[in-house]
Amino acid sequence: MLSIKNLHASVEGKEILKGINLEIKPGEVHAIMGPNGSGKSTLSQVLAGNEAYEVTSGEIQFNGKDLFELETEERAREGIFLAFQYPVEIPGVSNLQFLRTAVNAMRKHRGEPEMNAAEFMKTAREVSKQVDLNPEFLKRGVNEGFSGGEKKRNEVMQALLLEPKLAILDETDSGLDIDALKVAADGVNALRSEDRAILMVTHYQRLLNYIVPDHVHVLAGGRIIKSGGRELALELEEKGYGWLGIKDDDAQVAG
Amino acid sequence: MANTDRQVNELIKREYEHGFVTDIEADTFEPGLNEDVIRRLSAIKNEPEFMLEWRLKAYRRWLEMDEPDWAHVDFPKVDYNAISYYSAPKKKEDMLQSLDEVDPELLKTYEKLGIPLHERAKLAGVAVDAVFDSVSVATTFKEPLEKAGVIFCPISEAVHKHPELVKKYLGSVVPVGDNYFAALNSAVFSDGSFVYIPKGVRCPMELSTYFRINAANTGQFERTLIIADDDSYVSYLEGCTAPMRDENQLHAAVVELVVLDNAQIKYSTVQNWYPGDEEGKGGIYNFVTKRAACIGNNSKVSWTQVETGSAITWKYPSCVLRGDNSVGEFYSVALTHNFQQADTGTKMIHLGKNTSSTIISKGISAGRSSNAYRGLVKFGPGAESARNFTQCDSLLIGDRCAAHTFPYIESQNKTAIVEHEATTSKVSDEQMFLCRQRGIDAEQAVSMIVNGFCKEVFKELPMEFAVEAGKLLEVSLEGSVG
Amino acid sequence: MKPAPTLSSAFLTPGSQSLPQPLLDLRSQRGTALADMPLPTRKTENWKYSSRHLKLSDELATALPVKGKSGPALAVPGYHVVFHNGVMVPEASDYPDVDGITIQRFADLDDSLASELAERLDNTLDAKAAQLARLNSARFEDGLYIRLAPEAVLDQPLFVISETDACSSGSAYPRIYVDAGRHSQITLVEEYISLGDEPVLVNAVTEFTLADGAQVTSVRLSAEGENVQHLGATGVRQQAHSRFDSHCVGFGGPMRRHDLQVRLEQSGANCRLNGVVVTQGKQHYDNHTVIEHVAPHCDSEETYRNIAADQSHAVFNGRIHIHQDAQKSNANMSNKNLLLSTGAEIDTKPELEIYADDVKCAHGATIGQLDKQSIFYLVSRGVDRREANTLLTMAFINELVQQIPVESVRETTQVRLNQFIEQTFEEA
Repeated sequence: MLSIKNLHASVEGKEILKGINLEIKPGEVHAIMGPNGSGKSTLSQVLAGNEAYEVTSGEIQFNGKDLFELETEERAREGIFLAFQYPVEIPGVSNLQFLRTAVNAMRKHRGEPEMNAAEFMKTAREVSKQVDLNPEFLKRGVNEGFSGGEKKRNEVMQALLLEPKLAILDETDSGLDIDALKVAADGVNALRSEDRAILMVTHYQRLLNYIVPDHVHVLAGGRIIKSGGRELALELEEKGYGWLGIKDDDAQVAG
Repeated sequence: MANTDRQVNELIKREYEHGFVTDIEADTFEPGLNEDVIRRLSAIKNEPEFMLEWRLKAYRRWLEMDEPDWAHVDFPKVDYNAISYYSAPKKKEDMLQSLDEVDPELLKTYEKLGIPLHERAKLAGVAVDAVFDSVSVATTFKEPLEKAGVIFCPISEAVHKHPELVKKYLGSVVPVGDNYFAALNSAVFSDGSFVYIPKGVRCPMELSTYFRINAANTGQFERTLIIADDDSYVSYLEGCTAPMRDENQLHAAVVELVVLDNAQIKYSTVQNWYPGDEEGKGGIYNFVTKRAACIGNNSKVSWTQVETGSAITWKYPSCVLRGDNSVGEFYSVALTHNFQQADTGTKMIHLGKNTSSTIISKGISAGRSSNAYRGLVKFGPGAESARNFTQCDSLLIGDRCAAHTFPYIESQNKTAIVEHEATTSKVSDEQMFLCRQRGIDAEQAVSMIVNGFCKEVFKELPMEFAVEAGKLLEVSLEGSVG
Repeated sequence: MKPAPTLSSAFLTPGSQSLPQPLLDLRSQRGTALADMPLPTRKTENWKYSSRHLKLSDELATALPVKGKSGPALAVPGYHVVFHNGVMVPEASDYPDVDGITIQRFADLDDSLASELAERLDNTLDAKAAQLARLNSARFEDGLYIRLAPEAVLDQPLFVISETDACSSGSAYPRIYVDAGRHSQITLVEEYISLGDEPVLVNAVTEFTLADGAQVTSVRLSAEGENVQHLGATGVRQQAHSRFDSHCVGFGGPMRRHDLQVRLEQSGANCRLNGVVVTQGKQHYDNHTVIEHVAPHCDSEETYRNIAADQSHAVFNGRIHIHQDAQKSNANMSNKNLLLSTGAEIDTKPELEIYADDVKCAHGATIGQLDKQSIFYLVSRGVDRREANTLLTMAFINELVQQIPVESVRETTQVRLNQFIEQTFEEA
């Protein structure tokens, strides 16, 4: 489904990704772990097509298409979803309006009829309950005045609504208390299916207790330095990033 | 990110929808302004002597005045002698009794503008007074309104039929010498709407006036007077369009609202005069004086305006809050693009006790346009416990536009409280990225974000106009994504 | 229409001639340019609220006599320069002679320095926005020239005490020019005080130029007597990464005005402007500030507080102007006002003029009285009403007073504020 070859990318002239290789197949759940500044978020932003990040070399194929040929919104319509680490506020635009516009843009792309307001409202209410968000949230401005946890659950709710092929979750666990984490994880687990892949980006392995990955990759200095199964995350937690010879400024590394 | 800017700019290439010209024979005065012109104008309208005197007085005041230069707008001097002060479609000597007598060309024009005037097709629940150049050509729903005791007619008709009301209130809110453009309007105004809502009456439908400039080289000088007697309520809307012409055309209107005890007027404007082309050629000079006198206790006025048209806008719908507990509101969206210039805002003059006012102003500048909010909030010594809240936000689209805020705040009463806030921002790259990551294209994203920015104002508009305003904004923003 | 009144020619005759020739030349040039200058009226936008307080009668045109020696002994801690009616009194002054720091009176400048200065005077102030600053240039009789070489650091604040002796009617024209070199540092404290009771005019102008990375702290205390009209102006131009930190404290008078203009001319320049004004009786005070964001990536932060009691009148006009291409500017302005009496008046006009899109600008302004709930809360805890008023009034400006980085000024301010509060809440 997703094939990344020798990806190099930079921000404001500084190279962050220095040759990433990664293969993801439908139905798989991958976790990318790494210390702060290792390039985790850069990778997810590049996949989603944020123009602030410059790809300097390499290639990415997504379901047989060259990702770099696609605009941000085209990637989204092809099924790439990014749950933002820092969800953006859009004052005055209601969640409902925002999501319906997005869902209908996707449906139009797939040649499906648009959803009318009533239909959409019904679906949205159900999904919002799934992530334990009061449906009243749908009427509020996009992320406007939401708490950190609400913003993150809102992101997961959007993933559920938009039914992507590849869901990238950028630090979706950060800022969540344990109960909120469980709710968010339940939401993500509900996303799991045979034809859908999930890419989780996280600093800590805490999230992986609830969303068990098939593959774990350790990212450091802009490269994947080690890959393995679920046990790699546990080993990392036990031994810390230092175990792999990685420097990490963050004292609480890996829990 | 520069890319977002480019997208916004591409989005703002506007097409002005209402730029066609109606081919119709008209009686038009030769350009020029002097006392004879005013006498002729008054004679054509068969006005009583008091009106002529009033006009001449205004004209003499105007001659002594200077064009104001304090607004943040820049335009070549207007040659007032190059303008024709009267233009009316022919065959319209007397007031129309029935719509069947209206020239079919005119009916077609309004149809095309989305304002069908025929009984069978007319807008449900909205009575329309259609003003074409210098005259009112049709007024719908006259009968049901009359039944309710509501007077809704061209002001030229009111001069004849209700001279006592006209004499009492015309110029009572905006005196003839109030300002340069108001004085000019008082001297040469040709038509406009007159509304009187009697005591205790809630007007059974929305009233609206649709202004259309058609003839070339003419000015439009309409005059609107609305009186809401004790315990009454009316919601009034106005819309405006004009053909695309290379020359600038002058529109200098005066609107006076009189609000008595416990009465309320809701006045909404969707202003879409021709804004000029992409190079800034042509367009309407929109120099308007709008003022409400909240004379009565517990009276209330809400001004809501969506300003997307005109080459230059100079307009400050104001409230004089004289009655105790009276309330003034001003909700404004002003969008400028290409070379448009807007200097608009409001004045809230608090004189009575417990008076309160709210100002919400949303300015959007794109292209090379300039958009200024100018406002005055004043508390006189008698404004015991008065309150004002002001929020002025500016949104910039593109790096060659300008947004300004000039608020004047004056207080002479220690129990009065005013809070003023202003912010300036752009459509952020992060917002654009979020929308596009969710599959929404740039154009739709900008329009959604801008609409969200204006939401507080749109929600004050009557339903069907809110939808129209949203669409208008979309059209006006075309090609601006930058 | 009546022709607008013009500045009386009496004002255009300077007093003392004991200045270097280039400065005398500048003075007479400026004088010529001022002939027939229309005086501000209510219609003059930046004098809208203050023109009625301005009284430039001919008797004020006379230069106040200069005594050889200062009258009172001033107890000033640290470095200080004393000016008497606009002329420096060396005997009363005490400042260091260190490498890299030039502190000289205008009268003592050699011709080359004087002609260099003559070139630079008035370059920081927009004549249109601060019309009457030009009067000082036509009339100054002396002045203080300070130059800091690159990296030079003045280790203590330098006080400039401008004392006006109102023994007779007339005017004084204090002038300061500070040229802060690359990465230099200085704290300058200007104190304006007065003696005597005759009506006088003080027309003071101070200019600062900050080279790359210079750090200047300016403290300005205007505390003259009830007989003094004060027209002051401060102009500032800042180069890359320089920092200007201003603290203005003003007490009302018959006519008080301070124009503060800051130009952020290169990236990274930033300024903080704080101001506190209190007025009582029939006093007046008008602060007009302009911050010009000329270059990208500059920050400005402005906080002004006014308190007006009795029949007094306080005015604030703050303008932020973001020039085209000054992208990534951050500008914040807050003006809060306390109106303590219904006979008093507060006028405020926070303006934004913006020609660049990628900026963060905001301003806020409020006018109100002391919060009744807060008073009630204090009273319900047994605090007497007068004390509650005092506490809350102080709280309104304390934040700004505490930020004044010079202890003695903080103390003076505190004492004056206490007097103000005592008088204001006397009958309450």
